[in-house]
Amino acid sequence: MFHAFDNAGPNRQISRPEWMALLARAPQDLLDGALAAHVDMPPLWLRKPETGLMMVQGRAGGTGERFNLGEITVTRCALRLAADTPVGVAWVLGRSHRQAQMAAVADALLQDPAQRERLETQLLMPVRQHLQDLKAQRHARAQTTKVDFLTVAREAGGDDEGDEA
Amino acid sequence: MNAPDLRNIVAGFDNEAFGSQAVFRAALDALSHPGRPLDMPLNTALPRQGHCAAAALLLGLLDADTPLWLSPLLADSDAAGWLRFHTGCPIVADPAAAQFLWVAQGDEMPALSSLSLGSDACPDQSATCVLEVNSLQADIAGWRLQGPGIAGERHLRVKRLPQDFVAQWHANHAGFPRGVDVFLCTATQIAGLPRTTRILPAQES
Repeated sequence: MFHAFDNAGPNRQISRPEWMALLARAPQDLLDGALAAHVDMPPLWLRKPETGLMMVQGRAGGTGERFNLGEITVTRCALRLAADTPVGVAWVLGRSHRQAQMAAVADALLQDPAQRERLETQLLMPVRQHLQDLKAQRHARAQTTKVDFLTVAREAGGDDEGDEA
Repeated sequence: MNAPDLRNIVAGFDNEAFGSQAVFRAALDALSHPGRPLDMPLNTALPRQGHCAAAALLLGLLDADTPLWLSPLLADSDAAGWLRFHTGCPIVADPAAAQFLWVAQGDEMPALSSLSLGSDACPDQSATCVLEVNSLQADIAGWRLQGPGIAGERHLRVKRLPQDFVAQWHANHAGFPRGVDVFLCTATQIAGLPRTTRILPAQES
């Protein structure tokens, strides 16, 4: 069954690709708030944050031929919080080294089952909420420009009634 | 694409720019003074398997366009994932397809003639072989080296090379301008053997 990455679902274990996708979209203030204990702690860098370009490809209509849509800036990093602990990795849009670092810290912490529950409620849920709010806002803004073509057609149909008859 | 397993991977150069520049400088010095043992700057975290000087050398030289072949001892170790993670180099199973080869001590060296030798038009596209050895000494009992970059003669004593290395090297040298270049690496030192260098046996005295 298909699950979107921002849809928690009941009693479903979140997988690493899903939380990495969430963290990549998490705004800086949510990350800093949930990871306050790690904000000032220098991590052990495996790969310091570095910014580069990636080519985004699209398909016409979602199924057609691939085409290059354009380039985006991406910042990536990899780190450990302490020796012999899991590696946290993050790839985020934009040039904020800080955001990439905090996303990687969160990824490293989430791999520790003892931390997962706390972060799930303090970080992942707010991020999901934030993304849903954004989506709702965009949706609402788009709705104001909606044109009800049915009404137009009916009015036009009413005017032209005589021609058709 | 298979992501490398990150569990055993350690960091790379302490400072990417200065670390790789120091390694590149050492590699240039080694090839321009063939057979002179040089200390390798080791400003990097290192994998457990493999000689440190060889690991640092490859970390500085490899990138995403240089296919790497690893001898069996290294291919199964953390060194493979470490180089893959930090340099993005593709790791190939066929020595002939590689531009860089890293042969661990205790592993058999693929025959030099079977490696990528470049072409007469593009001899620069040949392979570079990084060979791990026990020790490098500028010792009168060792080889006598002659060729470009050496005023007169230079002595180099290498411990633990394949038995037929010198014979293979003669064939490699005879194919000039085609041929492979070799770096000999101990734990801390490197020495370059570009294809132009001739190896003569020790002088009878």
